[in-house]
Amino acid sequence: MAGKAGIRVENLYKHFGKGDTLVRVIEGASFEVNKGELVALIAPSGAGKTTLLMMIGCVEEPTSGTIWLGDEKVYEDKWLTKETRKIRREKIGFIFQAHYLIPFLNVIENVTLVPQTNGVSEAEANKIAMELLEYFDIGDKARSMPSALSGGQNQRVAIARALANKPQIILADEPTAALDSKRSVDVVKMLKKIAIEQNVAVIMVTHDEAMLPLCDRILKIEDKKVVSEPVPKEGVAIL
Amino acid sequence: MINLAQKDVQHTLGKFLVTAMGVGMLLGIVLIMIGVYRGMIIDAQVLLDDIGADVWVVQEDTLGPFAEASRVHEDLRDTVRVIDGVKSAEALTFQNIQLPQKPSPVRVVAVGFDPFGTVNPVSSKRMVAGRGLMRSHYEMVVTDKTGYHVGDVIRLLRHDYHVVGVTHGTVSSGGEPLIYVSLKDAQELQFSYSNNRIRTDRARGIEGAEGHMVNAIVARVKPGYSIDEVAKNIETTLHKGVFTATQERTLLTQNLIKMASKQIGMFTGILVVVSTIIIALIIYTMTLEKIKEIAIMKLVGIPNSMIVKMIAQETLLLGVLAFIFANLFSHLIYSKFPKRVVLEIPDAWMLFAVVIVASLLASLAGIKKVISADPQAAIGG
Ligand SMILES: Nc1ncnc2c1ncn2[C@@H]1O[C@H](COP(=O)(O)OP(=O)(O)O)[C@@H](O)[C@H]1O
Ligand SMILES: [Mg+2]
Repeated sequence: MAGKAGIRVENLYKHFGKGDTLVRVIEGASFEVNKGELVALIAPSGAGKTTLLMMIGCVEEPTSGTIWLGDEKVYEDKWLTKETRKIRREKIGFIFQAHYLIPFLNVIENVTLVPQTNGVSEAEANKIAMELLEYFDIGDKARSMPSALSGGQNQRVAIARALANKPQIILADEPTAALDSKRSVDVVKMLKKIAIEQNVAVIMVTHDEAMLPLCDRILKIEDKKVVSEPVPKEGVAIL
Repeated sequence: MINLAQKDVQHTLGKFLVTAMGVGMLLGIVLIMIGVYRGMIIDAQVLLDDIGADVWVVQEDTLGPFAEASRVHEDLRDTVRVIDGVKSAEALTFQNIQLPQKPSPVRVVAVGFDPFGTVNPVSSKRMVAGRGLMRSHYEMVVTDKTGYHVGDVIRLLRHDYHVVGVTHGTVSSGGEPLIYVSLKDAQELQFSYSNNRIRTDRARGIEGAEGHMVNAIVARVKPGYSIDEVAKNIETTLHKGVFTATQERTLLTQNLIKMASKQIGMFTGILVVVSTIIIALIIYTMTLEKIKEIAIMKLVGIPNSMIVKMIAQETLLLGVLAFIFANLFSHLIYSKFPKRVVLEIPDAWMLFAVVIVASLLASLAGIKKVISADPQAAIGG
């Protein structure tokens, strides 16, 4: 495996609008997230956490700077590929506050949609999906529709979906915000385990200080730049 | 590979089927309208077929007797008979009359012919009860749509007519039910219904030709003679309007086709447009309802082509289902229409092609929405 860095961002800028309506959200952010690492991203609301995640995820186009995903430089003052969507479905797993499962697909179809789009055979995709679902204790729900599952179960399906394409990077935007504290700890521990076991770089946006001790590192958006924060001792904030 | 359209349709099956049924009914009406048109064209030729003449002789400079009024003297029959190549000739009358039927009078076309002549417009294969005319007075054959039966007595003017036979499916070129009476009765009816001046003339003893007028002389041609040549011969000899059976058929249908096809074509066009708009609206709302899921699909990297395919397939499926319902619906109800409705398979296939094109057009609004959907819209700020 060449190189340790899963994500490398250099001198990244993001402005919205022009002239009077110009909003400077990120101004010269530089940081790295290594493979196998779970990194928390914190900042007050509106500071640009989602925007930063979406730029790394090749969804939102930055204004300038450089982004590396693994060995591939994907952005240098412009996208270096026309097919940002291909990068997304092959390299990145997304997790959100809400599960955003597709309601007309059952659980296993939701999980296998992206791998199948990537050309993985249905049988192979189903096998990977079943392993993930069983890992998350919802193997028996594979043929259920999302509407028949609880919020916690659906969030686990969503995480399985994010993992099914064997991503190099997982971008999680407040994945625990809708969960109670016990489930939140479960999810974060799960992300940590995935980071190690699958050698994935994970960035997790969170407002929940109780989750921070579970992370390897903490990045904070401050003065429109990204800075490091010390990780608080485990047990301090957990009730 | 997962078929997104199939999964989505399964998920909203009831709504999908109800929509397909609704659109199917509209398209069914389109099929019925085309069927009415086909029926009109067939109706227009029923009487012509039943009479089975080779040549029609009518009043000069007219397109009679159906497309224009025509009056000729019945003696013309005897003149036509002696023309070279003519095997037989008969006089015919056609007139609109009203039968005093309860609860409401029924408007019919009365065909007058010589019951003892060589032309019998009462086709035996259309008889469903009784017999043809066998006397020269006060017998009548009616078509079943008039509501009369064998043995009924109908009073017209001062005489009682006895219904001796009933036919099925016999209509005038305009689609009105037919009745058949003897030529003599027909002339009397025609005369008595015509204007008062003639009647008072006659009362004064001034006998005009009125009582001996007919609307057309029809002739059959001897074997070995060309119909066209005999027709030409009659025309040059008698200076009357002369049409071969083929020409008469064209006269009858041409005008009808021109008028009816335009009218029915317009109705059909409007209904197809309305159906397309309904399909488009449904697909558009179905797309809007899914826009969040579509945004998520785009976000996780599903290519546009897959999402567009889903929308297009759903639209096509809706069109195909609607087409199937249209055929079921039109076959269920067509026999209930008062006029003849003829459903033809080529017409259905043509509609199918139109529906497919319309569906593809209808999917455009939804597809446009898909392409413009912002992947980040779903997740919000
Ligand atoms: N499409 C956009 N156009 C203009 N401003 C935007 C847009 N998206 C985000 N912003 C602005 O960028 C800032 C950061 O937003 P966001 O990344 O959602 O913050 P966070 O996730 O940290 O709460 C906010 O001030 C927001 O108003
Ligand atoms: Mg946010």
